Amino acid sequence: MLIIQILSACDSASMAESWQIDRLRVLAVAATPAEPRPGDVVTFDALILSPAKALGGSAWFVCSAEASSDYGCEIDPALLGSGDPEDMDLEALQAAGFIGYLPAIPPAWIVPDDFLDALPEADRLEGTFAMTYITAFPELTEGQELAEDDVEIAYKRVPVSLATTPNHNPVVAGWKVDGFEIEDGATVRLDRGQAYTVECVLAEDAVETYTFRNESGEEEERTEEPYLSWYLQEGTFDQTNTLHPFDSVVYFAPDDPTLDAQAIWVVVRDRRGGMGWATLNLTFSESEP
Amino acid sequence: MSAWFLLLAAHAALADTPAPAPPPAEAELPPLVVEPTLLEFVQAPYPAAATAERREGSVRLLIEIDEAGLVTRVEVLEAAGFGFDEAAVEAARAFRFTPAQDATGPVPVAIEFAYGFVLDSARVEGATPDAAAAAEPGEAPITLEGTIVEMGTRRPMADHLLRIDSLNLETQTDAEGRWSFRGLPPGSYTVRAVHPGYDTLDKTVEVVAGSVTSARLWVRNQSYADPGILGSYRRETDDVTRRTISMDEARRIPGTFGDPIRVVQNLPGAARAPLGSGLLIIRGSNPEDSRVYVDGMFIPYIYHLGGFESVINPDLVQSVDYLPGGYGPHYGRSTGGTVDATTRTSFPERNELRWSTDALDSGGVWLGSLGKEHEHGVGVAARASYIDLLLPAFLADDGFSVVPRWWDFQAKYQYQGKRPDKFSVLAFGFRDSLLVSTPTGYAQGTDADTQGDIATEYSTYRVGATWDRAWGNHWSARVAPSFGTDEAALDVGNSFRLIQTKYTAEVRGEVRYEHDEHLAVVSGIDAIFGWADFAIELPFNPASFAEIDPLAEREPYTLSGTATGWGPDPWLRATWKPLADPDKLALNGGVRLMYVILPDENEVLAADPRFSFRWQAAEKTALKGSTGLYHQPPQPFQSYRPDDKPAAVGAEQSWSSSVGVEQGIGPAVKVELEGFYKDLTDLIVSNSNFGSLDDSYFVNTGVGRAYGMELIVRHEPVGNFFGWVSYTLSRSERQDRPGEDWYLFDYDQTHILTAVGSYKLPYDLSIGAKVQYTTGNPSTPYSLGVYDVDQDTYSAFPTGAYNSERLPPFWAVSARFDKLFTFKAWQLLLYVDLINALHGENPEFEQYNYDYTEKTYFKGLPFIPSPGFEAKVEF
Repeated sequence: MLIIQILSACDSASMAESWQIDRLRVLAVAATPAEPRPGDVVTFDALILSPAKALGGSAWFVCSAEASSDYGCEIDPALLGSGDPEDMDLEALQAAGFIGYLPAIPPAWIVPDDFLDALPEADRLEGTFAMTYITAFPELTEGQELAEDDVEIAYKRVPVSLATTPNHNPVVAGWKVDGFEIEDGATVRLDRGQAYTVECVLAEDAVETYTFRNESGEEEERTEEPYLSWYLQEGTFDQTNTLHPFDSVVYFAPDDPTLDAQAIWVVVRDRRGGMGWATLNLTFSESEP
Repeated sequence: MSAWFLLLAAHAALADTPAPAPPPAEAELPPLVVEPTLLEFVQAPYPAAATAERREGSVRLLIEIDEAGLVTRVEVLEAAGFGFDEAAVEAARAFRFTPAQDATGPVPVAIEFAYGFVLDSARVEGATPDAAAAAEPGEAPITLEGTIVEMGTRRPMADHLLRIDSLNLETQTDAEGRWSFRGLPPGSYTVRAVHPGYDTLDKTVEVVAGSVTSARLWVRNQSYADPGILGSYRRETDDVTRRTISMDEARRIPGTFGDPIRVVQNLPGAARAPLGSGLLIIRGSNPEDSRVYVDGMFIPYIYHLGGFESVINPDLVQSVDYLPGGYGPHYGRSTGGTVDATTRTSFPERNELRWSTDALDSGGVWLGSLGKEHEHGVGVAARASYIDLLLPAFLADDGFSVVPRWWDFQAKYQYQGKRPDKFSVLAFGFRDSLLVSTPTGYAQGTDADTQGDIATEYSTYRVGATWDRAWGNHWSARVAPSFGTDEAALDVGNSFRLIQTKYTAEVRGEVRYEHDEHLAVVSGIDAIFGWADFAIELPFNPASFAEIDPLAEREPYTLSGTATGWGPDPWLRATWKPLADPDKLALNGGVRLMYVILPDENEVLAADPRFSFRWQAAEKTALKGSTGLYHQPPQPFQSYRPDDKPAAVGAEQSWSSSVGVEQGIGPAVKVELEGFYKDLTDLIVSNSNFGSLDDSYFVNTGVGRAYGMELIVRHEPVGNFFGWVSYTLSRSERQDRPGEDWYLFDYDQTHILTAVGSYKLPYDLSIGAKVQYTTGNPSTPYSLGVYDVDQDTYSAFPTGAYNSERLPPFWAVSARFDKLFTFKAWQLLLYVDLINALHGENPEFEQYNYDYTEKTYFKGLPFIPSPGFEAKVEF
């Protein structure tokens, strides 16, 4: 079997890779604060890319862990109607956990004061989570129907606890390309068809040390082990994810002469629900002989 | 003119039995371990009519030989006329053979024999060899002498005929292969060596006055390959469907790497295993529902890594019995099929050393016997893989490495002397390991706990003895104790580690009372006792919140301990043959009690009544059927509960029935058609209501059914050809819980067609081909999933019911070419297996992209050319 697998022809290379942004995608969602307490107001931000069509909007819901499934919150899609906010029944939406609609209504959620009451006292330090459910739409022109494949549905857990060292979203401080530091927001000019080592530089406090109370009731000091997910539209990477402290990938720039401006996105996840991201803007020129 | 014989073919005569003897049921019989050899050839007088017309001819005979080696009946299969037939029959009736033997001792057999008549113009008409010998100058000094030795084996040839036609002289070799002529005048002579089954050899020698000329004559056997079984008239009647393939057949089937145990996957009822893994998927059963034995010892794995080769060296395998269902109470603890590999029970008097190498591994075996009368048969084999040394040539130098390794050994002692006790000891073991390494910094998924090397290994060791004894004409007994260990280990990264060491002691025993040829009763026990040490290390408790919340903090979880279990499993079987001709009808009834005790965890008790019959309705037609219960205890891990309380998980049950017909067509072709139905109840499935430590992980709420029809048309290895066409039409379904939908079994394959053929060409060439076609396995369709932002993965939406679609069908054409080179002292077989020679598409699994918007197939069987060689030397 092993040798067969090695010798076998597999067409998976012809399929779209996860780092390839070729349709509407929700890549990251950050809650602020990343680990709220009951009564806190939580706001949300998202990295949503839509290369083919302009982004129309995104609807946001929240539900409890008990009310969620493997597919996030159980939301009736009919509640969203055609996607036009004017067509929506706000009361029905709020009853279903509606918390916002970008860009019109920034999503925000007030953690109920009794959110942790069902947990034993000792478990409230570690807490539980609420599920956030996001449906992103492309912009529709007059008379255009929304196709099922045009919609991206995503869900994200928001930890809620009384932790003494609550989590924060990791911050990306900047970039390095082939070892050269790139200022945040700057655009990098690369040669077409060339390979570059692209490194994401995390902020100093991005990797947090926190206190965890284990099953025996003892407190442990733990350090986050974040990982990075890489995305682009054109070109390729040598791998899709990297685990800190390996924060770089090899980027193979496209050799298509019609491509002038591109971008690389990186999303950092701290495995505790915290999330941050950054964009590296690129332009291309012909490689020198 | 006189007659002398030519043996044109004297092997593998699997012809049908003419009346009054009942037809054979070759495929149901244990194979012969000792073939009959011609001890006493009787020369037929050359028929006068043929002499008058100067005719030559060959008569093909079917000769039946009894347990003592005496000829009981001779039938002309292919007449030659001119008086040849009558003369050949009369002479053959006086032949004497060594008895054929199977594992139980001497048995009657039938062989095909070609009796040839050739005019000898050099001979004086009316003279006989004896008369010519009498004319030799007996007291004259020896002037020409020598020995006759078989090429390739260097075995001295006794009773070989030598002639000097120019002097009308002939003689025979003695037991050591020596021969001589006396009083030859100086000159050049052509010595001709003639013997059935050997090429006639002419050698010119020079006789010099005053000296003795010596010559060693090397004669070439016309068929060096192991002839395997010859067929037997005895018939096992307790197992309705027992298919036995000869070793020679097994070795020549393309795509099996010469491994006889892999051959079962080409027989009816066996579904195609994914990725050629060798999993036994028999009559719609899960792979873990079928059991594999080696000399009666249960082993957990029968194949090395990758499923290409079994863990027993083919040179030590005597037979492989494949029982897809309907077997008697002597097999148990399984609801699927059974494969029983038997190692050699007969070893050659001369030493044999064999060495074989293929693309995967290399190994040797020594076969021989010790003692004055060669009463102590011994075989030792060992084999090791070297594919790990070759793989780097096929892999890019990018920091990834795959290192598969395995080795195995076997040692067998067999008492093969004249005492009534038969005793044997078999020890064997194997170890497989696989290490997959990735470059530093390469992420294997995003889970921090799965980073690093992946390593797995498993090993098995067994030692077992078998003692057989008969008392008088009625009583016999067998005892077979064994002991062994099984180890398995898995490491994934730094956080997952599973280690288990299992010790197993088994005792199989049976006492047989054979009242007469109409009634026999066998009482037996199949006892097993096992205990295991295990240790599990996981990055989190599988029963904790961390299992469902990827953001929850993980706490390392370890579980270690010792588990024990045992089961005595007594059984009873009776065979009643109520008709005057005992071979006309056999009724078999039996019962097996399965009792498995896992102290403090579980106890399972079940009774399995089983019944089968076989009715020889006509000379070449037999009807057969079976029905019975089969129970299978839960796997040890299925009896585990997190709260350490006794598990409420019982045995799985199969009520299995079959009915079939066998029809012989001519001397070599046999057709078998069999229908089966299995009603599966109490199947163990995961507990959907598992919610706390007070629950069992598994419950017996599953049910299932498997039914179908199996057909095999088989051409026995008569002459130069053997082959079969096997076709299975089946359906297997499951329902996990009451009220839920039925779904297709994961390996349900509606059509399974396998055609195998092999033909022996001149010059020791042979060519074989295999064609396979099977319906694709069921699959479940998915569409664009929902994105889990925390884990960077998509949860797919199923767009249809579980297993509601199918993969495209599988088909493959494989070929094999063999060429045997025979040198004076040794033989060399070169071969090449061309697996999937026509590059058939072989989808094994559906493979979706990251978000389930695109789908492709993982193709499992590419074109694989696999060359190899086998060398053999006797000394």
